[in-house]
Amino acid sequence: MSKLNTAEKTTTALRECKGEAQRCARIGARDPVAGVVCLPASPIELTAMDDDHETYISLLLSDSNLPTGSFVASSGLESYFKHGFASTSDSTTISFVQDSLATYAHTALPFVSDAHRVVAKLNATSGEHPEGVTEVDDGQDKTLIDLTALDELYETMTLNHVARRASKSQGVALLTLYSKGFSRPPSLSTESGSNACDQSARMSILLDKFKLMVRKEDTHGHLPICWGALTAALGLSLERSQYLHLFLHARSLLSASVRLNNIGPYGAQQCLMHAVRPLVAGESARCKNLRTGLLEDSESNFDETLHGPANTWPLGEILAARHDLQHSRIFNS
Amino acid sequence: MQSPSSDVNQRTNPGLGRISLTTYGSGAVFTELSSTYPLKLLSPRITGHVATVYMLTYGGGLVGGDHISLSVDVDATAILVLLSQGSTKVFKTRLGQRRAVPTTRPTPAVTDNIASSNHALTTMQNLTFSVAAEGALFMLPQPVTCFRSASYTQMQTFYLSRNASLVLLDWLTSGRVSMGEEWAFSRYYSANEVWVEGRRIAKDVMLLDDLQVDTGAQLAPRTLRDRLSPYSCYAMVILCGPLVQGTIHHLGGQYDQISVFKTRAPAGLIWSLSHMPSGGGAIVRVAGKETESVKKWLGQALVGLQETIGIDVYQQAFQ
Repeated sequence: MSKLNTAEKTTTALRECKGEAQRCARIGARDPVAGVVCLPASPIELTAMDDDHETYISLLLSDSNLPTGSFVASSGLESYFKHGFASTSDSTTISFVQDSLATYAHTALPFVSDAHRVVAKLNATSGEHPEGVTEVDDGQDKTLIDLTALDELYETMTLNHVARRASKSQGVALLTLYSKGFSRPPSLSTESGSNACDQSARMSILLDKFKLMVRKEDTHGHLPICWGALTAALGLSLERSQYLHLFLHARSLLSASVRLNNIGPYGAQQCLMHAVRPLVAGESARCKNLRTGLLEDSESNFDETLHGPANTWPLGEILAARHDLQHSRIFNS
Repeated sequence: MQSPSSDVNQRTNPGLGRISLTTYGSGAVFTELSSTYPLKLLSPRITGHVATVYMLTYGGGLVGGDHISLSVDVDATAILVLLSQGSTKVFKTRLGQRRAVPTTRPTPAVTDNIASSNHALTTMQNLTFSVAAEGALFMLPQPVTCFRSASYTQMQTFYLSRNASLVLLDWLTSGRVSMGEEWAFSRYYSANEVWVEGRRIAKDVMLLDDLQVDTGAQLAPRTLRDRLSPYSCYAMVILCGPLVQGTIHHLGGQYDQISVFKTRAPAGLIWSLSHMPSGGGAIVRVAGKETESVKKWLGQALVGLQETIGIDVYQQAFQ
């Protein structure tokens, strides 16, 4: 999101009704929901507001009740236990979380990052042409082309039918979540012409188009691409988006482990509190600069053997693919 | 059958190889088969449309800084079987010259142009294949074995025409187990990309390295060995094209019969099969406690290929 641009426009608006806007900005600093509507004036307030906005979005997205389908995914954990790996060490759940998170970060984060980048770029530029409809559409088409290319590459790199299935169902659930759960309800509509509203409307159009392409099977709708696009559309920074994505992966593995009766709910909470944090921080630090290679221009020194996506856990791949062979199972992946 | 290459070429472009196979009359013919040190290509036999080539390296292995680059063309209806003799050993990364420098060697393998790159001491293999319609490539090498501290990068790209067939076996062992080395190398990177008619249908990238994230005081970091045990051999097979449909069908049938019940300990060998999202191909992965058991399993799983390449060549691959 272009902070400067937003700030400029707000400053103009502020001159018109200064007292009102300042009051809003003060409220906004404390109340993140108000922050979406009332944009702050000074850069200092802007940072605080952005932070509040991001924190609030993070809180919403980390709700385990969100209908994203992660409840039925164990990402190979159920198969791992079933194949006898639970008996080889004491802390099997956390070992699995370590290995699974490492390989997931290395394969998916490059796609999250690139999808976030293309959508964030559109989100930032769209404000510059409030009435230049053609230009906005052009940008949108280019963004959709990029997202589709990323989606296609992820499909060809996910050579495990169970993981592909799980990724697609969670991806499309995120797009639905955006259009149904994050769009502004008519009862809360603000004055038209507000910059934030315009941008949010443009992002809605973009993600709706992408969702339609998934429905028509023109593209796949894989989770990392949809996550990157969604978080960029909501104004979450790339770093927070990456971190949250890995955290959610780890947390959903722990809740799967609880459902599989491998650890108790308090044990899972302890893991989240003490073990998962350094893991998520470590893996996101390690993989935050990885790219897919699709968006690099000739001047970048991208070397896919160093900076590209890669699977780091071949055992996990085999076990995840064998999920459907289990005689009885409670998860879908 | 290695064709002589010029001295100049050898000095400036070490490790280059070129294979071009076509058909003439009722048999396959090499229009080109050349290589430069330390790569060596040998073709002991051509039987009908099936030609076999062994990919060898001097000294039976590669050292840090060795770069092998091979480009292969297979013409319509020709069938190329690419084998290696013994496992490809990747020795410890070391500065300077090759460990076993033959007297005929004009220059050290670590050349100036790669010394500046930040992973100049990685051993690299870059293989590119193109297979025309009705042609086939059977890539059935022995596994790669990386020794302690070795760093290895392998990139293989396959450009297939419609109706071309491919069997690609890519596998590695945990190291020199007899010397107590198990998953003791420092980095292994293998990328396989398959394109059919200009469209990428599969890209498999595997990275095994011992770089660990800081997990805080509470948790021990996971070593390569922690992640990959109890298995010491991992194999991946990509199958696509008309000549392998029977094998895919056969294996798919076997796979669907498996029913996993809860076990106390991991099995000695496990495998998985996934159909590719498009193009009618499949990918098979195998992990085993011993390399021999994986080899035996592969030999049985791919036995249908005998019909195409002949029993003698097949046995060479899986003996």
